Amino acid sequence: MLFKIVGSLVVILSCSFLGFILSRDCSRRPQQLRELQTQLQMFENQISYLSDVLIEAFERVSRVGNSETGLIFGKAAEILRDNGAQSAENAWEQAVRQCMRRTALNREDEEVLVGFGKMLGSTELDGQIKNIRLTMEALRMQEKKAEESRNKNETMYKSLGILGGIAVVIVLL
Amino acid sequence: MRNSAENSPNSSASSLKKHILPVLSKRVGSAIEGALIYGLEPLEEIRLRAEKPLILQNYYKEWFIGADGLLSSKPSGSFLVSQEDIRLSLEMMSENSIYAYQDEIRNGYITIKGGHRVGLSGRVVLEGGAVRNIKDISGLNIRLSNQIPGCSFKLLPYLFRNSSDIYNTLIISPPQCGKTTILRDIAKTLGTGASEYGFKGVKVGIIDERSELAACMKGIPQNDVGIRTDVLDGCPKNIGMPMMIRSMSPAVIITDEIGNDGDREAVQCVLNAGVRIVTSAHGYNISELKSRREVLKLIEDKVFERYVVLGNRNGPGTLVEVIDGSTMKPITGAGVNAF
Repeated sequence: MLFKIVGSLVVILSCSFLGFILSRDCSRRPQQLRELQTQLQMFENQISYLSDVLIEAFERVSRVGNSETGLIFGKAAEILRDNGAQSAENAWEQAVRQCMRRTALNREDEEVLVGFGKMLGSTELDGQIKNIRLTMEALRMQEKKAEESRNKNETMYKSLGILGGIAVVIVLL
Repeated sequence: MRNSAENSPNSSASSLKKHILPVLSKRVGSAIEGALIYGLEPLEEIRLRAEKPLILQNYYKEWFIGADGLLSSKPSGSFLVSQEDIRLSLEMMSENSIYAYQDEIRNGYITIKGGHRVGLSGRVVLEGGAVRNIKDISGLNIRLSNQIPGCSFKLLPYLFRNSSDIYNTLIISPPQCGKTTILRDIAKTLGTGASEYGFKGVKVGIIDERSELAACMKGIPQNDVGIRTDVLDGCPKNIGMPMMIRSMSPAVIITDEIGNDGDREAVQCVLNAGVRIVTSAHGYNISELKSRREVLKLIEDKVFERYVVLGNRNGPGTLVEVIDGSTMKPITGAGVNAF
């Protein structure tokens, strides 16, 4: 009997733990989308007040904070530096595609980021700033969506974990 | 050609490899690299025009790149530049960041690493009568900046007042006669000191509006402009001169190509502060300069104590004459090469 109780407790605990992990993953995406917005804001400051060229601005943004999204900026700077002949658009797109797997962002977010690269560096400052603002706006929308699905899924995963555990115990008993 | 390369111990060959070839489109860059094995130094200009032959120019003559990839003096059948080459080159020259160079593009040129100036021509976009942008760029003129140590030594003795003071000097020279090169060497000599003439170094302030004199990268001069020299990079002269005096207390202000509106007040401000000035102006002689209002006023004010006229009779930087500013009489008139 004691063996059964301990076994059931272990099953319930591990299932709810799984649920908690999944629910935590849900909150990573909105958080990273927020980080991206902060980083873009920094990028805007770099190019408008310091008049930094792309490589410098990217490197500076990637150095601040130690987030997964910062990797994209670092990667883009690296690609640009290694191959000077490449356009900024290509370098950015490559960086986004390569780093996407390490973030919690989804396909839709990826396309927003790739879209940001289309005008990168090729226009005057006003155009650049408009492009940044536009991307930030799009990221804010994505964040809102991510937040909504987080609210829904977070509690769902948690309760699913606990309830699933209990269900397994009942079946096994 | 060989001879001239030996005469001018400059760094143009390495600078070409390091700063210029990497910012040209691959096609053009490798064509130039291939042809230059046979020596064409010192290069003065590289010209790219859409659908037209690539032209390399040194002091003596202009060269094309023939079908065999070697230098040729005939334009027919030579290497043609495409609009795409120009677009790619410009993108690389601006480090993929046109926005960071927009003010320079509006003025019709950008300065790349190494202090080389690239002139642009194309279709101008206007806004309210002012140039907003240049689009569809069809012509690039890369002017190689050559640093020639010691090129100002022949004229320096005319500039020294005593061991730690100099005369206010205006260098008058036609385009392509080494105005900027000489000014850069003067800055270096004044800032470092010249034991040959018993001149101690003084604090020098350079207002480098077009980033040509010091060729700063991230604020650090790439050219040797002296050990006591401060550089205000990319700053308009009329704003920069008073700024420099207040902030860095220089003994000498050096700036290139004077003669715009507002320069006169700035120069007066320099003189009132007891600071000396060395500057340059486009022109063939003093009487021609007088047709320019802003410069004429400076001459009438007897601002300058020495006028140095350069020419290119014996190559760029030939010292034509040095004129005393108070008597307007020549002190020397030897047609010697200053380089």
